This record gives sequence, C-alpha cells and structure tokens, in this order.
Amino acid sequence: MEGTGLIALSAAITISLAVLGGTTAQGKAASAALEGIARNPEAQGKIFTPMILAMALIESLVILGFVIAFMIQGKF
Amino acid sequence: MSKIFLSVLLILGSTQAQAEGGFNWFHGVAHSLHLPEHTITFIFTAILFLIAGVIYRAKTKSIEGNVVPDKGVSYRNIVELIGDFIYSLARETMGKAEAKLYFPLMFFYFSYIFINNLIGLIPGFMPPTENFNTGLALGVWIFLYYNAMGIKVQGLVGHLKHFAGPMLAMAPLIFILEIISHAMRPLTLGLRIRGNMMGDHAVLAIFSDLVPYIVPLPFYLLGIFVCFMQAFVFTLLSMIYIAMAVEVHDHEEHAH
Repeated sequence: MEGTGLIALSAAITISLAVLGGTTAQGKAASAALEGIARNPEAQGKIFTPMILAMALIESLVILGFVIAFMIQGKF
Repeated sequence: MSKIFLSVLLILGSTQAQAEGGFNWFHGVAHSLHLPEHTITFIFTAILFLIAGVIYRAKTKSIEGNVVPDKGVSYRNIVELIGDFIYSLARETMGKAEAKLYFPLMFFYFSYIFINNLIGLIPGFMPPTENFNTGLALGVWIFLYYNAMGIKVQGLVGHLKHFAGPMLAMAPLIFILEIISHAMRPLTLGLRIRGNMMGDHAVLAIFSDLVPYIVPLPFYLLGIFVCFMQAFVFTLLSMIYIAMAVEVHDHEEHAH
C-alpha cells in the first residue's frame, strides 16, 4: 500500500521529537536540582519533591506525544 | 529462604511469558467470565489488598500492640514505613491539618497502585495499570474527589473562583484555559501511568525474549524503581490537586 512508509516515518518522528524535547527539559531540571543540592546538601528533601513534580509535568507532554504516535501507527 | 528461591526461579523462568499475548494466569478465568484480563488482575489485587489490610488490623487490635512498635523488619513495620512516608509527604504538600484529612485516601492510592504495578513483574501477570482504562478510572476518581472537596470546603462560588484567575478582566480567557487544564488532569494521570508501565513491561519482555537468563535481572530492578516512581508521582500529583482545591484564600487579609 502506498504511503504506509510515510505513516511509519511520521510516527517515529513524532515520538522521537517528543522524547528529544522532554529529555532535554528533564535534564535541565535534574541538573538544576543537583546543583542546588550540591550547594546546599541539607535542602535535598525540599528540592526532591518539586523536582519530581516538574519532571512529571514535563513527562506528561512526552506521553501525549507518545499517544499521538500510537494513533498514527494505528492508521496502518 | 524458600520464598526467595521460588521468586528467583520465577524470574529465571520467565522466557516469553512477558511478551504480549503470551501466557497469563488469568487467561482461562477471563475467557469464561468474558472480562478483560486486566480487570481480573485488578480484582485479584483488590482481594490481596483486603487480606493485607485485615492482617494489619489484626496485628494492631490490642491497645498495647497498637502503641508499641515491633522489633526488626516485620510486616507491620513495612506497612507503617509506607504510611509514614506518605504522611510526611502529605504534610509537606498540603499542610498539617489537611494531611490528617486526606492521608487515608492518599495512602490507599499509593499502596494500591504500587501493588498493581508490582504484580506486572511476576511472569504471567499483566499489570492492570498498563491498561489505559484502569489509570483513567483512578484519575477520574481523583478529579471528582478534589472538585467535591473544593466545593465542600469553599462553597461552589469559592471553588469556581479558583478557575477565574487573579484579575477580573482576564477571567473569561483564563476560565476557559483552566477548565481545559483541569479536564486534562485525569487524562494525563491515566496516560502517564499507562505509558510508563507499558514501556517498562515492553523493555522487560524484549530483554527476556533476547536472553532469558540473568540479563533481564537489571531490568527487574529498574522495573521495581519505575513501579515505585509511578505510584509516587500519581500520589504526589493527586495530593497537589487536592491541596490546590482546598487551600483557603486569604489574600484580602494578608498583603503580599
């Protein structure tokens, strides 16, 4: 069938772009949190929860991208 | 000791059981009851959870037993460790008075999701949270709960004021955005846990497909970590949603 290759490619591009953005952002969040902990090790407990929260919120968009990739894949 | 041996045996014996459409303990039951496998597993974990609760209740029945903690690593201490962890988290995110009110639900959510995630690591079980419907059901209940609690604490008008933003002129625009972001909350809660559990399960399946022995072991460790993290994130987000809905506005009295 014509065009199936394009569908597969678009699903792959969708998830890879989403993951690229998400991991970059999560890396930034993690590096900032680690820097904060390195400067003030006592603040670890206080930094940990907001860091996890920020990561979860970033991740949710990546997962929405994953869902879209899944939907594209379903068009085969 | 025999339990450890048995679990190691189960881990080593997981060849293709993890793969999709592979062996499942509840396949026969699900087929005869016309229910999906994840629903049967969900009911199974609910029964396990009930039994665990009854055992814990029996251990703390006497007044002395209630006050004096056990020595060493016992079942009761593990339960109380998790309870303490969730309670301190609730106190951190919600404040002391609210933490006491909403802690039981949050503890239930954390431990139940954790059990539901962990059961996927046993070969032949599908984690119920891998299905989107389970996550969505849990998320929708949180959505209903925090809205109900917001209305209960602040009244309908007070709760709706949350959606309007700080400025009256901007209210119509912000109201729409807030409604959308609130409606997305149960969806993202469900999708997050579903996506993570599915990814975790798929990695396990692929690696136990490639090399059935020893090699999947690090991924089991990773799996336990992911199970814990997803239960933790779900609980943390629910706590923050509830805390945001029930926080009392006193901007008028305190000048910032």
